Amino acid sequence: MSDALVILLGTIFVNNFVMVQFLGLCPFMGASQKIDSAIGMAAATTFVLTLACAASYLLEHYLLQPLNLEYLRIITFIVLIAALVQFAEMVIRATQPLLYQVLGLFIPLITTNCAVLGVALLNVRHQHSLFQSIVYGFGAALGFSMVLIVFAAMRERQTSADIPKPFRGAAINMISAGLLSLAFMGFTGMNG
Amino acid sequence: MTVLIGTLTLTIIGGLCAALLNYATRYFKTNSEAIIELINTRLPQTQCAQCGYPGCRPYAEAISKGDPINKCPPGGTALIQELADLLGREQVPLDTSYGESLPPRVAVIREAECIGCTLCAIACPVDAIIGAPQMMHSVISRDCTGCDLCLEPCPVDCIDMIVVKTVEVRPLRLPRIDQDALDLIQYDCIHCGLCEPSCPRELAPQALFWHRTEPERLQSLNLADCIECRLCDRVCPSNIPLTASFQAAKQRQYELDQSRAKAREAQARFERRQRRVSRVQAKVRARPNKQDRLSMIDRLRNQKS
Repeated sequence: MSDALVILLGTIFVNNFVMVQFLGLCPFMGASQKIDSAIGMAAATTFVLTLACAASYLLEHYLLQPLNLEYLRIITFIVLIAALVQFAEMVIRATQPLLYQVLGLFIPLITTNCAVLGVALLNVRHQHSLFQSIVYGFGAALGFSMVLIVFAAMRERQTSADIPKPFRGAAINMISAGLLSLAFMGFTGMNG
Repeated sequence: MTVLIGTLTLTIIGGLCAALLNYATRYFKTNSEAIIELINTRLPQTQCAQCGYPGCRPYAEAISKGDPINKCPPGGTALIQELADLLGREQVPLDTSYGESLPPRVAVIREAECIGCTLCAIACPVDAIIGAPQMMHSVISRDCTGCDLCLEPCPVDCIDMIVVKTVEVRPLRLPRIDQDALDLIQYDCIHCGLCEPSCPRELAPQALFWHRTEPERLQSLNLADCIECRLCDRVCPSNIPLTASFQAAKQRQYELDQSRAKAREAQARFERRQRRVSRVQAKVRARPNKQDRLSMIDRLRNQKS
C-alpha cells in the first residue's frame, strides 16, 4: 500500500508528467483557456489514461510477450488508446453536450497526447505489476489534471490583470507555464 | 511466420476495438437537443430570418452543427461574444452581408393609408399585427420584434420602423460615461484597494469595476446592492468615476433583462403561430379539391335521378 502511495505522490508532484517530464503540453496549452473546460479535459484524460494503463498491461503481458511480439508494442498501444479515446468521446457527447462543444477538437487529440502513450510505455520499462500500472497511470492523470486546472485558473486571473502589451497572449502563457514548472522543480529529490 | 502472427494479432486487436466501439455507438445516443436549447435561449428571437434560416431555432440547430455564430444582425456583437463564450469558439466580427446591427425597433402602420389587405399580418412571424380584411390594421408594439418582414409585402408602403427609446435607470444624474471612455481609463486603476473599506454596503468596488462587462460576475459580486453613494469615487486616488461605471453596468443589465424577457415572449408567440399555421394547413389539405368536389356532386345527382 505504501508502495502505491509513493508511486502516486511521485507521479503527481515529483515526476509530474507535464511540468517535469514535459509530456502532454498540447492539451496543457490548448484546453486551459477556461477553468470549466480544463476540468472537463482533465476528467476525460484521467478516464483514458487510467483505462489505457490497465488495458496496455494486459495486452503486453498476455498477448505481446507470450507471442514474442514486443516490437509491435507502440502500434498496438496506439490502437488501444485511439479506441479508448473514441469511447470517451462518445460518453461525453451523450452525457455532456455542452462540454463536447467546448472541448471539440481536443477530445480526439487525447490520442496524440504523448503523456498517455508515454505512461503506458514507461509502465513496461519499469516492469510494474497490474496494480502498480493502474496507480502509476492514475497518478499521472491526477498530476496532469492538477497542473491543467491550476494553469487554467492562472490564465483566468490573467484576463483581468493589467499585462504589458508585448507580453499579452501566448507570451505570458509561456512565461507563467515556465514559472509553474520552476515551482515543481522544488519537489525534485523528494523520493530520491 | 513472426510477420504473419504479428499482422494477425494487430488485425484482431483492431477488429475487437472496432466491434466494441460500434456497440458503444448504439448504446450512447447523441443528445444534441440540450445544446440547441442553450443556444436558442441566447438568440434574440426576433424570428427575422436574416441569417438565412426560417427562424431562431433553426439557426440554433445550424450553429450546433458548426455554422458560423456571426450571422445574427439583431443580436449583434453582444450575441457573438456570448455564443463564443458558451461554445468556446473564436470571437468574430458580425458578417454584415446578412444585415447591419440596428438599435431595437418596432413597426408602426400609418393607419390612414392602410387598405386592409392583411398581407402584413400573414407575414408577421409573431402575430403582432391585428386587423380584419378591408379594415385598418395595427401593430401591437409590445409584441413586435422589429424583424422588418412586414415591410416587403405591404402594397402601399404604409409601415414605418421606429427606433424604440430605452428606459433609463439613472436615479442620480451623473455625467453619462460610455464604454470606450472607460476602456481608456481602466489602466488608471492602481489596485490600491482604498475603495473597498469605503463601501457602506461592503461590496468590492474595485472588482466590480474590473468585471463591469461580465453580467454573471457582476451578479455574484452583488452589483444590485450598490446604493450609488459615491463614497468610492471620493477615495479613489486616480479619480476613476466608479459610480458612473456601476450605473452604466446596471443600465446594461436592465436592458439585457428586458431583451431576454422580450425574447422569451416572442419565442412563445412564434411557436404558437407555427402550431396554428400547421393546423390550418392540415385542414386545408384535408379539404377535397375542385375535381373531387365536382365528381361528388355528379355522383349525388346521378343517385337522385
